[in-house]
Amino acid sequence: MPLLNRMTFATRICVILLLVSIATSSNATGQQPADFSAAGFAFVQKHCVSCHGGDDPAAEMSLQSFRDSESIVKQRKVWDAVLRVLNAGEMPPNDQPQPSQGDVDAFVQLVRGVFDHADRNAKPDPGRVTMRRLNRNEYRNTIRDLIGVDFDPTADFPSDDIGYGFDNIGDVLSISPVLMERYLAAAESIMDRAITPKSPAVIKRHLGSTYTEPASSESASLVVKGYRPMRSSGDRPIDVGPVNTSYKWADDGDYKFRTKLFKETTNDQPLKVTILVSGKELAESSSSEELDKFAGNVPRPAKILKTIEVVATEAGNAEVIEVDVPAMKGRERMLVAIEKVPADQPQATLWIEHLALDGPMDTRPASQRKLLATDDSQPVVEQTANVLTRFLRRAFRRPPQPDEVDRLAKLVGDEMASGESWESSMQMAMQAVLCSPKFLFRVELDSNPSDSAARPLDDFQLASRLSYFIWNTMPDDELLDLAERGELIAKLDDQVKRMLADQRSVAFVDSFAMQWLQLRRIDSVAPDAERFPSFSPALRAAMVRETELLFGSVVKDDRSILDLIAADFTYLNEPLAKHYGIVDTLGTLQGQPAARSGGEPIKGETFVRVSLNDSVRGGLLTQASLLTVTSNPTRTSPVKRGRWVLEQLLGAPPPPPPPNVPELEEEGAGKTAGSLRERLEEHRKNPACANCHAKMDPIGFALENFDAVGAFRTRDGEHEIDASGEFGDGTKVNGPKELRSLILNRKDDFTRCLVEKMLTYAVGRGIEYYDRPVVERIVGEMPESDYKFSALVTKIVKSEAFLQRRGL
Amino acid sequence: MLIPTKPISRRTVLRGLGVSLALPWLEAMGPLRSWADGADPKSVAPNRMAFLYTPNGKNMLDWTPETEGAGFELTPILQPLSSVRNKFSILSGLTADKARPHGDGGGDHARALGAFLTGVQPNKTDGLDIRSGVSVDQVAASRIGDKTRLASLEIGTEQGAMAGNCDSGYSCVYSSTMSWRSATQPLPKEVNPKLVFERMFASNNDPSRAARNARRRSILDYVREDTSGVAGKLATNDQRKLDEYFAAIRDIEVRMERAEKMPPVQTPDYPVPTGVPAAYDEHIRMMCDLMVLAFQADVTRVSTFVLANEGSNKSYAFIDVPEGHHDLSHHGGDEAKKEKIRKINLFHTSQLAYLLERLDSIAEGDGTLLDNSMIVYGSGIHDGNAHNHDDLPILLAGGGCGTLTSGRHIRYEKETPLNNLWLSMLDRLDISLEKLGDSTGKLPGLLAGV
Repeated sequence: MPLLNRMTFATRICVILLLVSIATSSNATGQQPADFSAAGFAFVQKHCVSCHGGDDPAAEMSLQSFRDSESIVKQRKVWDAVLRVLNAGEMPPNDQPQPSQGDVDAFVQLVRGVFDHADRNAKPDPGRVTMRRLNRNEYRNTIRDLIGVDFDPTADFPSDDIGYGFDNIGDVLSISPVLMERYLAAAESIMDRAITPKSPAVIKRHLGSTYTEPASSESASLVVKGYRPMRSSGDRPIDVGPVNTSYKWADDGDYKFRTKLFKETTNDQPLKVTILVSGKELAESSSSEELDKFAGNVPRPAKILKTIEVVATEAGNAEVIEVDVPAMKGRERMLVAIEKVPADQPQATLWIEHLALDGPMDTRPASQRKLLATDDSQPVVEQTANVLTRFLRRAFRRPPQPDEVDRLAKLVGDEMASGESWESSMQMAMQAVLCSPKFLFRVELDSNPSDSAARPLDDFQLASRLSYFIWNTMPDDELLDLAERGELIAKLDDQVKRMLADQRSVAFVDSFAMQWLQLRRIDSVAPDAERFPSFSPALRAAMVRETELLFGSVVKDDRSILDLIAADFTYLNEPLAKHYGIVDTLGTLQGQPAARSGGEPIKGETFVRVSLNDSVRGGLLTQASLLTVTSNPTRTSPVKRGRWVLEQLLGAPPPPPPPNVPELEEEGAGKTAGSLRERLEEHRKNPACANCHAKMDPIGFALENFDAVGAFRTRDGEHEIDASGEFGDGTKVNGPKELRSLILNRKDDFTRCLVEKMLTYAVGRGIEYYDRPVVERIVGEMPESDYKFSALVTKIVKSEAFLQRRGL
Repeated sequence: MLIPTKPISRRTVLRGLGVSLALPWLEAMGPLRSWADGADPKSVAPNRMAFLYTPNGKNMLDWTPETEGAGFELTPILQPLSSVRNKFSILSGLTADKARPHGDGGGDHARALGAFLTGVQPNKTDGLDIRSGVSVDQVAASRIGDKTRLASLEIGTEQGAMAGNCDSGYSCVYSSTMSWRSATQPLPKEVNPKLVFERMFASNNDPSRAARNARRRSILDYVREDTSGVAGKLATNDQRKLDEYFAAIRDIEVRMERAEKMPPVQTPDYPVPTGVPAAYDEHIRMMCDLMVLAFQADVTRVSTFVLANEGSNKSYAFIDVPEGHHDLSHHGGDEAKKEKIRKINLFHTSQLAYLLERLDSIAEGDGTLLDNSMIVYGSGIHDGNAHNHDDLPILLAGGGCGTLTSGRHIRYEKETPLNNLWLSMLDRLDISLEKLGDSTGKLPGLLAGV
C-alpha cells in the first residue's frame, strides 16, 4: 500500500476515534455502577408484578423474572418500554395504587443508570446494515445521473416494501423474479435511449432566397431566376440585407452553413462576402466597429464566422460557400453580409440563391457522446478499457478492480467478434452493468465479514452513504474525487453544507420528509365527496406542495427544526388559500379587515410565502395535508390525529388497542348519541382504553377546529366545536396554538423523534438500543447549534452508525 | 350447455367469449392435447389452483349457511353466487391458528394474511428478519410450475402500503403479500393489468425475442461470473440478499428456456389492458379475466389474488359506503355499520361470482374450466370486530378435475387447521406432502363419500 494512502487511512481512523471518544465521554458520569437487585427489584415487586406476572401477565409482558442489573440489560427492549410508560405516567394504571413521583423518578433513574453503565462499558456498536437494493427513487435518480437520460424507467417496477416507516431499509428491500425481469427490461430501454449504435442522419435545411429575410411584400418580385440581390448601399433593408434567416439550434451542436451566390460588380472589382451568426443571448460576439462596416443593419450581438472573396460572376458558375458554425450558446440567425460602399463609389451586388444549414453534425445522443467519449488515437482495446473503467467507477460507486474491467472488456470483445459495432458492444456491456448486483445494491464489501469489531467505512462507501442519504442518488464527481484522494472524512462539514444547498437535496424532502410525515398515504385518501365537495386531486396536490415547501425552506434556508412546529409562515397558492379562507400574503382571513397593510392578494396556481402572524395556523400541525391524512373519509378522527402526533412528532407511539375492543368509536347512523367528543369520552370510560386515549384524544380535540380535509370550522353538524382537552396527568390544552406550545415545551422529545427517524433513514435499518448514546448525544447538542437543520444532518453523518460498520 | 354437433374452429368458440387463443382442452376441436405435456393424446385437462383473499373478515351471520350438507340455503352474502350454486362448497370451522398473537400482541391483520397460505406465525418485525413460511401456492408452483410458462401468477389490486408499519409493529410486507416463495421471500403481487398481460403474452410472436433472450443470457452469465469474487466479502445478511438475486436470475433463465421449448401462445383478442382502471370493480374484473385467460391458455396453473390488502381502509363510496372498510369492520355490534360491512362483503362476493361464471362458461373436456379448477375464496379473519382467526369464512369452488364434490356446506371440528385444506388441495395436484405449516392431516369429506 503506498505510504500516502496508508497515512490518509490512519488519519481517517484518528478522526473517527476522536468522534467516538467525544461520544463516550459525554455520556460518562463516573459513578459507581447502579444496582437493580435491591431497590429496583422491590419497586417492581410492589408496583408491577401483580398484573405483569403470573401465568397470564397483562399485555403479555412479565416482569417477574428480573432480579438484577444483568437481567434487565439483556432485555433492553422490554425495559425501554417500561421506562417509557412510567415516564408518561401510564403505569401503574389509575385504578391501581400509585407510587409517589419521587419513587418513580428514583426507579427510572436507577434503571437508566444500569443502562448507562452498560452502554459505557459496551463496545460502541455501529450496527449492521444489510446491503441495500436501490429503491425505485434511487434507481431512477441514479440512472439520470449515471447515464444522462431523463425518463422514468421504474414505472413498471413493483412497489418497494416499507420497513420502520421508510422505503430504503436493506432488510426489507428484496428482489423477486418479477423485479429482476423488470431490471433486465429497464436496462434494455435505458441503453437503447442512451446509445444509438447507428447514428441517425444529419438534419439538412434548405431555404430558397425568396423566403429569406429581410422581407416585405416586394421581396418575391426582386428575385431573378431564383437569385436574390443584395446591394452595397441603399436605404431599404430589403435591398441591402444582410440576407438572413433564423434556425432552431442545439446549443452544444456543431453545424455547417452553406450559401450559393455570385457577384455583380463594375469593372470586375473584388467583392468579399461575410457569414455571421447572431442571437440576443449569443455567447461570443465581434466588436461593433467590425459589424458597423456591413451594408444594412447587422443585429447585435453577432459574430463574424468567415469572410471570403467571391469569384463567381454569373448564375451559370455560381459558387457554394461553406462555413463551420461551431457549438455556441444563444445562436439564432445566420446572416450573409457584404461591406457597404459609399453611394458615390462603384457599387456591388451579391446574388444569393439559397441558404442551407446542416446539423447538428454529431447526431449521437448527448448521453452517448458523454458515455463513450474517448481518444480516437488510441488502439480500440485501450479505448474500451478506459471507457469501461470510467463507467464502472461511477456505476459501482468505487474504482473497479482490474479483473472487473477485463471481464467486461471481454464481453465487448466477444460482441465485436460476432460482428457487432463497437458502439453496440459497449451498449451491451453497459446494459450488463445495470443488471449487476454491484450496481443494483449498495454493496459495502468487507474483507473480513465475520469480524464483529467496529471499523470505519472506506471513503467510497462513505461517499455513497452520503449521497443516497441527502440526494437519493449516486455520488457526484466531487464526492468520488474526494474519496479517491482520501479527503472526504476531513471535509464532511463542508460537503454536507454543499449537498444540502444543491438542487438535488429536494429529493430529501420528497423522500425523507414525505415518509416521516406519512404523507405518501394521501394519494389513497378519499374524503367523502358529498361531505367535502371542495376536495379535489388538484387541492390534494396543493396540500402536499405546501408541506414540501415548508420543509424545503427548513432545508434550504437552514432554519431551526423547531420551525416545523412553530413556523409563523407558510406557502399557499390560490386554491389552497381559498380552502384556508386566507386572502392575502399577510394571512388576512376572508371577510375580516386586514390587520396590517401591504398584503398582496394570492392569485393563481403559483405558491407564495404567506405570513401567519398569530393565526390558528402555523407549522406542520395545522397543514391540510396532515389533517386530511389523519382523518377518516367521512369525519375527523381525533384519535388518529393524536396518535400521529405521538408517533411521528414525539416518538411515543401508543400501544395497539387491546383485542375485542372497537379500535375507535365510530359514528353510527343508528346511534346518534351526541357529538364525536361525547362518544369518544364514552369510549374512554372503558379502563382498557382510557390510558392511551387520555394521551391521544386531547391532541386530536385541540385540532377539532379543522375538518377532515383541513378546512377551518366552528361547528360539526349540530355541535359547536370544543377544542379543549385534558391529558391523563391533568395538563389542559385548548386549540392549535396551545397544542403547538405544548409540543415546543417538549423540544427534546420532538428532536429525539426526528433524530431517530432521520438516523433510520440515513443508515437504512431500525434503531436499536446500542444507538441510544448516539441519539442522546445529538439531542443534547442540538440546542447549542440553535436546532439548525444542517447541524442535525451533520451530526447524523458524523455518528458512529453512519461512519462505521461491522461484520456479522 | 350447447354442444356443437361438428368440430368448430377455435376462433368461433372464442369470439363468443371475447378471446381467441390456442385452447388445448376444447373437446370440439378434436382429441385433447396439452402443449404443456407434449402431444400425448391421452392427457387430460390439468387441475388448477387459485386463492382469492378479502380483508377484514365477514359478517359471519350473513355468511354461514344454516344447514349442513347439500341443498343449503344461500345466505345474504352468498346470494350473488346463485348461478353457480352447485359449483362451490362452504367450509366452516377452519382455523388459522398462526394468525393468533401467541404472545406477539397486536397485529391481527398482518398475521391474518401472513399466515393464511403458510400456516406459519409471521415474525413480528418492522424490517429486520422478515419471515413467514412457504405458502401452499408456491409449494404447488415449485412442483408443477415447470409445466407452464409461468410457474405461478400473483395478482392484486392494491400496492403494498406506502407509509409506516402497517399493523402494530408488523412490516407492510405481511399485510400486502399472500405468496411466499420461501420463508424469507415474500412474492410481491402485480396490480397493473397491463403488466400482468405483458408477462403472460408479450413475448409471443416477437421476432426479436430470440435475439433479446440471447443477449439477456450473455448478460446473466456475465453478472454471475462477475459476482463470484464477492462471495467471501459479504456478511450473512448481505449474502442472503445476493442469494435472492441469484434465485431471481435463475428463475428468469429457466423461464426463458421453457418458453423457447413450448409452442407459442397466441396473444388473445382480449383488449390489451392499458393500465390500472380507475374503478375498483373494473380493476377486479380485469384481473379475473386475466386469471381466466392464464388458466385457459395454460400459461400457469397456480395463482393468488389479493382483492384488497389485509386491514385495508379502502372507501367503498361507489356502493354508498364512503367510510373506510377497516374502520367500519370495528363495528362494535352497531347494526348500521354491520349493514355497510354486509354491502362490502356482498360486493366482493359479486366479483367472485363473476370469476366463477367466467370459468364455468369455458368448455374444457367434458366439463368446464371451473370443473378443472380449485378456487378458494376467503379471509384469515372471522369477524373484523373481534379479530378472531377461528371458524374462518372459506369457500371452495370448482370440481378439481373430479376430485371435489361441490354444492355443500361442510362444518369441520373446531380448531381444524386451515392448512389441512391446503394439504388436501396439494394432494389433488398429485403433490404429496406430509405437512405444511401447522397442518395436522388432510381434510376429509371434500369428495362426497370419501
